[in-house]
Amino acid sequence: MSVLVLVEDPADELAQQALTFARSVDGDVAAISISGDYAPAAWGQTLADQVAARAPQAVIAAGSERGNEVLAHAAAILDLPLSANTIAFAAGSPPTVTRVRWGGSLLEQALLHGSTLLMTVAPHAVAADGVAVELEVVSPSQHALAVAPTKRVGAASGGVSLEDADVVVSGGRGVGSADGFAIIEELAELLGGAVGCSRAVTSAGWRPHTDQVGQTGTKVAPDIYIACGISGATQHMAGCKGAKKLLAINEDGEASIFAHADYGVIGNLHEVVPAIAAEIRKARAA
Amino acid sequence: MALAAALGASGTLFARRVTRLRALVQSAKPTERSGDVPVRVRNEVTIVLGQRKLLQRFVPGLMHAFIFWGFLVLAPTILIAMIAIVDRHQTLPWLGHQGWYALLVDIFCVLVLVGVVSALYMRKVVRPKRFEGSHLGEADLILALIATVVISLLLWHASRIALGYNEWPASWSPVSHLLSHLFGHGSGTRVLERVFVWIHVATILSFLAYLPYSKHLHIGAAAINVWFGRTAARGRLEPLRFEPEEGESEEDLRFGAGTAADLTWKQVLDTFSCTECGRCQDVCPANQTGKLLSPKLVIMGLRDQLFSGDREAALVPTAVPAESIWDCVTCGACIEACPVSIEHVDHIVDLRRHLVMVESSFPSEAEPMLRDIERSSNPWGHPQGQRADWAAELDVRVLEPGDAPPEYLYWVGCASSFDERARRTAEATAKLLQAAGVEFAILGPRESCTGDPARRMGNEYVFQALAEQNVATLNEAGVTKIIANCPHCFNTLANEYPDFGGSYEVVHHTELLAKLVSEGRLQPARDEKLMVTYHDSCYLARHNDVLEAPRELVGAVGTALPMTRSGKQTFCCGAGGAHMWMEERANPINVERVREAAETGADTLAVACPFCTVMLDDGVQSTGDQLRVVDVATLLVEALEHPAAPSAD
Repeated sequence: MSVLVLVEDPADELAQQALTFARSVDGDVAAISISGDYAPAAWGQTLADQVAARAPQAVIAAGSERGNEVLAHAAAILDLPLSANTIAFAAGSPPTVTRVRWGGSLLEQALLHGSTLLMTVAPHAVAADGVAVELEVVSPSQHALAVAPTKRVGAASGGVSLEDADVVVSGGRGVGSADGFAIIEELAELLGGAVGCSRAVTSAGWRPHTDQVGQTGTKVAPDIYIACGISGATQHMAGCKGAKKLLAINEDGEASIFAHADYGVIGNLHEVVPAIAAEIRKARAA
Repeated sequence: MALAAALGASGTLFARRVTRLRALVQSAKPTERSGDVPVRVRNEVTIVLGQRKLLQRFVPGLMHAFIFWGFLVLAPTILIAMIAIVDRHQTLPWLGHQGWYALLVDIFCVLVLVGVVSALYMRKVVRPKRFEGSHLGEADLILALIATVVISLLLWHASRIALGYNEWPASWSPVSHLLSHLFGHGSGTRVLERVFVWIHVATILSFLAYLPYSKHLHIGAAAINVWFGRTAARGRLEPLRFEPEEGESEEDLRFGAGTAADLTWKQVLDTFSCTECGRCQDVCPANQTGKLLSPKLVIMGLRDQLFSGDREAALVPTAVPAESIWDCVTCGACIEACPVSIEHVDHIVDLRRHLVMVESSFPSEAEPMLRDIERSSNPWGHPQGQRADWAAELDVRVLEPGDAPPEYLYWVGCASSFDERARRTAEATAKLLQAAGVEFAILGPRESCTGDPARRMGNEYVFQALAEQNVATLNEAGVTKIIANCPHCFNTLANEYPDFGGSYEVVHHTELLAKLVSEGRLQPARDEKLMVTYHDSCYLARHNDVLEAPRELVGAVGTALPMTRSGKQTFCCGAGGAHMWMEERANPINVERVREAAETGADTLAVACPFCTVMLDDGVQSTGDQLRVVDVATLLVEALEHPAAPSAD
């Protein structure tokens, strides 16, 4: 039996784990990497071509996003089943694999069929023990490069992403309209932060769903979360409870957001938010 | 001879189809529907014979009842006509000679015709939206067949009276007698008499052959389906088994419904029984607010898939689009409205179960809820240690392991433990129980989510893990009686935990509080100027028949103003079926409900469910109506604390 392992960077911990896992499946391990920029469809085709040429008994990659994606492409091309996020392999005909499902809460035992066994290895399923293999670099199948990266653009070019922002300025129903968000955007920009909103705002169509912070939206964990005109419903708080500090601005002193806030301003956000922005400008000008 | 041939042809076509249908039922997956014979008999009498569900909509119901009762009364005339075809001077012994029967036949012929004409009027002129997506041409053909059967019967009787062939006294059949004046007494009428009886019998035989191939299959299937309908606890979902029992292989286990082969025999019968009347669609909160879901189209889609013979293709999306499966709030309005006891929610949950547990395919925004229920034992991921925080200043006993069991365990539920708005209900309930001297305790951090949202979402696996854990905790603590203020917890504890070894006497807080008020242990001051409209929670009113207790409480604190859709006809707040944790498309259900509440002119919208509280309060904030959304327990505590003082939030 021979095993083919797809490796991107042999020094990578997950690649090492995949190699260790591969050796536990069979001693005869060969490793390849694919040259050039990441292109999942082309890499999948390349891997499929390699399988056709080498006829290995198993193909293994790390259970990283890339590993899973490339093997999924290869599996589709080869019309073979793929066992993703595998943590254990027991030989047999067919062999039994144990794989992680449901974000780690469920272990599934399954029979893995197929002329070539395709598996990705769940992160930390095995401890890497320094397998040294010769890495063969293959070029991607050119004909499959119909979809190829031409330019990489960092996320930073469009502002700070909500998920990673250190400052999030969020508006709720109290903002009143889509135009009302101008002052929220202004404050966010001054603080180098991102704009968020509550579900009421996306339901009303004032902001896209991608801006929504909450149980059914994005979960944020900024250093400070500024909630403007947000009442503090449980569904919203579930999205911002990771914030280190919470500043609430709300007209209604009874709003439940104040129960969670580190700092609170009881007042009209249409007056308070521009006033904060003005103060920041003044302090910076000085 | 010709009759024998016609009977044979019709009978063969009928039998062939029925054999096929029976095979579909027999090859379906098992489900337990035995026992409770008295209830089943009562359902047959009220729902089938009495047309109870149909008459919920009086005019169309009466129309159907005329046709249905007509066919029961007229059934023997089929035999009479066939006997007359063989020998025109013979009839059914005894019955064929009875004047009163001839009178009944005349009356019901007219009533059936009235029924057919009103049905055509409905379909051609009124055209209610509920027929959208139904097979309209098929319905027209069936109505035409029914009209032909009845008219030919009247004309046949009339021609016999004209010829003096009537075995019954002609004076007993006013309509046929009147019509008999159209005919002479000669050979022409003798020919016509034969023509009419042949038209009559031939139409009936064609109808018989056509019936099982059409949606009119319900004539046969509905009565059977009603018999096997749910007899108790509508809110209970059928548990799945994850381990094969003795004599079973792994292959016998089903994880919901993935293909037509996964449907249970009751579900198969459901699809046969549907006559596409659309009453379910008309009351569906999702459908009525512009979502894709139509319970009718779900059942029709499954039926088409069954009849196609394709047992491999995925039911979603081949038979039913995924989107409509996730639109469902599991409120059960469709089941309540269905005249033939179809259980739409069970179909939808089974489709969800397959999507969630086998395909891992569901609205991604619900994933944090499922994960948090598993990891943190509540759907928002709050630390369990904070579960009893609401009770910190109320001197509520938290039941520790080894403690003596309380008289009542107060099951607070996640919403009332963690949600700021819903917490007021827990506080009010605790204060009221203390005021009335009820001995109770809470589980605090040892209470976990009942698993209801996970189960309604389709994740039976997570639900069962929580059910087993909670049942173990409750049994170990020696709990016998439980108070729940969340109708979802109430339903799960009362109806679903018995499947997992947990049988308790479960009351909703409104039931216990109403009892305490009626016993005089709580004496609220009534403020008649307080105008209250009460919103029935689906899981309380429809799924569990708790209708009177909350109304008694509302009546005890203020003036009740009923909403149009109330009691078992209530309209969902939009949170059920795990929708509390999903994004809503199209128009919001809660806003629709708040609009209805505002129409009553009430200043207070009383609720008895923490999720209704949150949803309707959000709705009020969207519409800007001057309505205070508040749990009946809070109203009651205010009526004790501040007699007659008008309350403001």
